[in-house]
Amino acid sequence: MDDGIHIEGLSKRYGAGDTAVDALKDVNMRIAPGEVVGLVGPSGSGKTTLLKCLGAVIEPTRGRMTLGSEVIYDSEQGGWKTPDLRALRRDRIGFVFQAPYLIPFLDVTDNVALLPMLAGRTNGASRTRALELLQALDVAHRAGAQPSELSGGEQQRVSIARALANQPPVILADEPTAPLDSQRALAVMRILNQMANQYQTAIIVVTHDEKIIPTFKRIYHIRDGRTVEEAGEGREIS
Amino acid sequence: MISLAGRDILHSWGKFVLTGVGLGLLIGATLTMAGVYRGMVDDARVLLTNSGADIWVVQKDTQGPYAESSSIRDDVYRGLLGMPGVAQAANVTYLTMQVRHGARESRTMVVGFEQGQPGEPGYLVAGRRLLRGHFEAIADVKTGFKLGERIRIRRHDYEVVGLTRRMVSSGGDPMVFIPLKDAQEAQFLKDNDAIIADRARTAANPALNRPGVPGLLDAVTASQTINHSVNAVLVKVGAGDTAANVAQEIRRWKHVQAYTREQMEEILIEKLVATSAKQIGMFLAILTVVSAAIVAFIIYTMTLGKIREIAVLKLIGTRNRTIAGMILQQALGLGLIGFIVGKISATLWAPAFPKYVLLETADAMRALAIVMVVCALASTLAIRAALKVDPATAIGG
Repeated sequence: MDDGIHIEGLSKRYGAGDTAVDALKDVNMRIAPGEVVGLVGPSGSGKTTLLKCLGAVIEPTRGRMTLGSEVIYDSEQGGWKTPDLRALRRDRIGFVFQAPYLIPFLDVTDNVALLPMLAGRTNGASRTRALELLQALDVAHRAGAQPSELSGGEQQRVSIARALANQPPVILADEPTAPLDSQRALAVMRILNQMANQYQTAIIVVTHDEKIIPTFKRIYHIRDGRTVEEAGEGREIS
Repeated sequence: MISLAGRDILHSWGKFVLTGVGLGLLIGATLTMAGVYRGMVDDARVLLTNSGADIWVVQKDTQGPYAESSSIRDDVYRGLLGMPGVAQAANVTYLTMQVRHGARESRTMVVGFEQGQPGEPGYLVAGRRLLRGHFEAIADVKTGFKLGERIRIRRHDYEVVGLTRRMVSSGGDPMVFIPLKDAQEAQFLKDNDAIIADRARTAANPALNRPGVPGLLDAVTASQTINHSVNAVLVKVGAGDTAANVAQEIRRWKHVQAYTREQMEEILIEKLVATSAKQIGMFLAILTVVSAAIVAFIIYTMTLGKIREIAVLKLIGTRNRTIAGMILQQALGLGLIGFIVGKISATLWAPAFPKYVLLETADAMRALAIVMVVCALASTLAIRAALKVDPATAIGG
């Protein structure tokens, strides 16, 4: 497999000695470009720890992670392959949060354009890219609005646009539908599937949300730090 | 790259501007304190310049009439006029007192001078110079007296015939100029009861009231009511002579103290104003610390209110220096708003102060630099808090 994200034998241990806790135990995952998979499990099962490891926010204890065709972490070869994890997160990983967490003092366009700007692209090129994504997500008409002027669904679409801004090979979505009603939650899932397909991005959706679980074609169940893969219903979203 | 600080300021400009105005009033108070000190120093210099003297001749072992009591005979000037290098010499008296105008009183320094001699006010903003030998006065505009008004000094009424400006004592009291003879009388005049008692005591003294010496008692009584003292003699040095050399000669031959302009300026600024300067310096230091604390608190609070956004910014790859720059720019922006408001406020309210407030451009520039440095230092606490934010907190869990 050349693209997407590939995780092999990933483990994470907090603490040491008698008080050590194994939050992740030999996790294996493989998500193809354009695929949206669900990561479900009860509270304390290790979902957030896995997300933080994938997001290069915390360092795993053991294992190997490949992003696209590039190994980004290998515990056998000294850990992270790049010293600049900030740049790795900025250029290669998109984040969608439970709450949109848009920057309140930037308008919608600049919230999306900020990432390409941080990556060194010109303001003009960054805003063009932002407007293109806002168009694709059907919020271009709110391009000049402040985040506080948007509805919850619009805010979440803008946050998805932001996650896609630097064309990352993977997006990590942390319960993106939790605050939304069924209709809006399904709308967000439809958008994520469209974007994954359109931009060939691998998307991992951490969720508890029973409304959206049937939409996944593949689901990783996580319990006590171990993942089990199973086929999902892959229900069409109308 | 867009300016995150600028956008944040624009987004919450109301809060930012109000905070800046509050800080500005504090900076305005700080600038005014500095202006008060500058005003005192300038008043001292103007006092010396307006006297038109090169040398102040005063009582031996005293520091002159501005600093302490000085009394010399009013004929000393005659001897001085005969000395080489002395072009002009004139008596002056200084007396700080309440001058009455109707029911109103004004605290002033009454100056007795000789017309056309050093000590006369250099210029008038209204009216004319003194033409009569008695009962005319020139007043500084700060006294509030108007041309043609009659003011009361001790037992006599004086007509205000001229007005001058920036003529104040080292204590900031506006001056009233009257003829020397009137001033001498006012300065040493006893009240009527005291004069009657003195005359009775003299008449009862057999040594001074001898039947065989007619006219002795009258002569003694007359000598008791005439004053022959002044506070200082102002000397102008002739062309080609230096004040230092002439002052040295005066000290050597006349048994009096003679100060040059530089020495008198030193007495006024280094000794008289020194305590006030220290007092103001303490205020300035306290106000600077308070301003720094306020900026630090405001920026820190504003930063804590953005912790989640900062975590998101860090998670999506914003560099620490970009975040630190955002906070620093906000602190500097706050300082700049504060400085502008402070400078405008100080300029507006300075004329309302009873004492002269001199706001110098150099002081303002120094204040701007200090404000910026203080704001930069004050922002370090908030920057530290922002840099400690873990990007993982944006993910939750």
